[in-house]
Amino acid sequence: MLVLRLGWRNLWRYPRRSVINVSAVATAFVFLVLLLGFAEGLTDQMLENGTSLLLGHVQLHHPAYLPDRGLFDTLGGDQGVSPAVWRDLPGRDGIQAASPRVYGFALLSTGEHSAGGQLIGVDPLLEKEVSRFLDGISSGRALSAQPEGRILVGEGLARDLQAGIGDEVAAVTQASDGSLGSALYRVAGILRTGLPHVDRSLAILHVADLQELLAFPADRLHEVALRIGDPMLADAVARELNRSLPSEVEARGWGDLAPQLRDYLALFDSFYGFVIGFVALFAALGLLNTMMMAVFERTREIGMVSSLGMSPDRILLAILMESLLLALLGLVVGGLIIAVLARPLSVQGLDLSRWMGELSMLDTRMDPVIHFRWLWGNLWKPALGLLLAGLLAAAIPALRAARMDPVKALGTPGEF
Amino acid sequence: MHYSKLILLFIFGIFQGSPDSAAPGVDAKEIMDRVDRLLRGDSSHGTVEMTVVNRRWSRSLALEIWSEGTEKALIRILRPKKEEGTATLKVGSNMWNYLPKIDRTIRVPTSMMMGSWMGSHFTNDDLVKESRLITDYDISISFQGERDGLPVYEFLLLPKPEAPVVWGKITFRVRSDNLMPIWSRYFDESGELKRTLTFHDFQEMGGRLIPARMRLEPADEEGEYTEMIYEKLEFDLAIPRGTFSLSSLRR
Repeated sequence: MLVLRLGWRNLWRYPRRSVINVSAVATAFVFLVLLLGFAEGLTDQMLENGTSLLLGHVQLHHPAYLPDRGLFDTLGGDQGVSPAVWRDLPGRDGIQAASPRVYGFALLSTGEHSAGGQLIGVDPLLEKEVSRFLDGISSGRALSAQPEGRILVGEGLARDLQAGIGDEVAAVTQASDGSLGSALYRVAGILRTGLPHVDRSLAILHVADLQELLAFPADRLHEVALRIGDPMLADAVARELNRSLPSEVEARGWGDLAPQLRDYLALFDSFYGFVIGFVALFAALGLLNTMMMAVFERTREIGMVSSLGMSPDRILLAILMESLLLALLGLVVGGLIIAVLARPLSVQGLDLSRWMGELSMLDTRMDPVIHFRWLWGNLWKPALGLLLAGLLAAAIPALRAARMDPVKALGTPGEF
Repeated sequence: MHYSKLILLFIFGIFQGSPDSAAPGVDAKEIMDRVDRLLRGDSSHGTVEMTVVNRRWSRSLALEIWSEGTEKALIRILRPKKEEGTATLKVGSNMWNYLPKIDRTIRVPTSMMMGSWMGSHFTNDDLVKESRLITDYDISISFQGERDGLPVYEFLLLPKPEAPVVWGKITFRVRSDNLMPIWSRYFDESGELKRTLTFHDFQEMGGRLIPARMRLEPADEEGEYTEMIYEKLEFDLAIPRGTFSLSSLRR
């Protein structure tokens, strides 16, 4: 108790020094926590950007479907799959939503203007729960829940076709039965994914409309995309699914489907880890420096209490207690600052678009706003680290001081 | 002759004239040119049964074909019922498809030229290409003599530098007594065989000797082929003005 009181009193004896120390700890703490939080946020965001545009977290395919995306390699082979196979997935293994998709290639035309289009047939309601590419409608409106012969065309494609909202677009394709499939659609909206080469060929329509164009019955699907609670568990979920899925249906996680995304995230993680390690090292060194100076400054004072009969152990403890209190105070101050900053930073995020503009990376549209992500581990780990660094920083000079010959210590010039 | 040309010529039934037997020692270019010119009719009209067989499905279409020179052609599907009235118009290097189900005419863009024509192994480009063999290829006789009991020429066609052609090499076997084609083989730029076109059932039709059956087989898809069999063919008839127009395409 005496030690605690002594430490506490010492804190206020030199407010200037204490303020410097407290702010050193607080600054390092705030800095580390924000850095870690943004790293988490950025990783999440890259994963989200990479998976939410179209990919989803897990996909079901015919085992031979990728990479060629053959028209006939539908789920379950030529027999197709009963809708129960995928409709019943949400709710188990952390799966939140499942969206059926059909892909096809067609010649799209508005008369004299024609262009090849990559068609994707989706169920608009289910798709919205898995991906957000349907959100990128720059004009017009979304697809309705029922097949009504409406189509969304990519911005570049609309330009090539000279098609506007409400215009009629004819689609011609080689249907699955060998016949020349044709259909007329009305442009409901213009799509903007942020990826110019995609927008140049992408056209979205209701899955039932596309199945009709391709002469496929309703149970023929190329892909079912799943959204799961924790994207990091995608591979495990896929493994689990593969135990129970029918033959010729295979589940794969996003890491398998987009290895470049996985590699990129790994690269980012290790690089960011490196940066954070550096920052933590410098923060600890800075703290070490201020603490050491604070104790060195007081060599004379320590000599005094020592000559008054205070035991070296007590002296050591008092100094350690003082720096513990300093560090704790710093953490509290830092914590308050973090508490104030965390919410706006996680909700609004840091908008970098002023510097970066809109950008895409690896076929992924990047959201230019970085969000802070709150994880308790990212709070207590740096806190503990700084606390230990603070104690260590005090222990070295304190040990030296405690063992010092009081006479010699008294002879040291100091503030006394 | 160029593959596409040959198909066009064949489809439009333009084998005409009765070639003299070529004298030995005649130069290759001249023979190919003669075959090439032989196949240019003023006009033709006929019906063809086209059968397409691939890994997934097989189907037969009855086609009606009009042609004028090599510039103009109109092909209309007569059967099956589902696709009746579907038609292709070619004028020069332009091509349009008419789809009766949606009552729309669609121009085939350049980017789709290598796509399949009506689900067959022929490409749109095969129907449209204008290049002449003797202008785009250096032609030499690689063999002259008897093969399978028939007197033949075998030609080797290599594209001239910068000629706008698809193939890296074409080989061609022609009967030397009547200059009827037997087969032609099409190789890509790395020398790999891509497709083989064979000619069969030589018979008189519309007053001329023609191969009434032609079969195209892709080299990389075993068992797949597209076959065209002439059922009726007439030559040098007066084709009504306006036949090769967008309005007649819709009919």
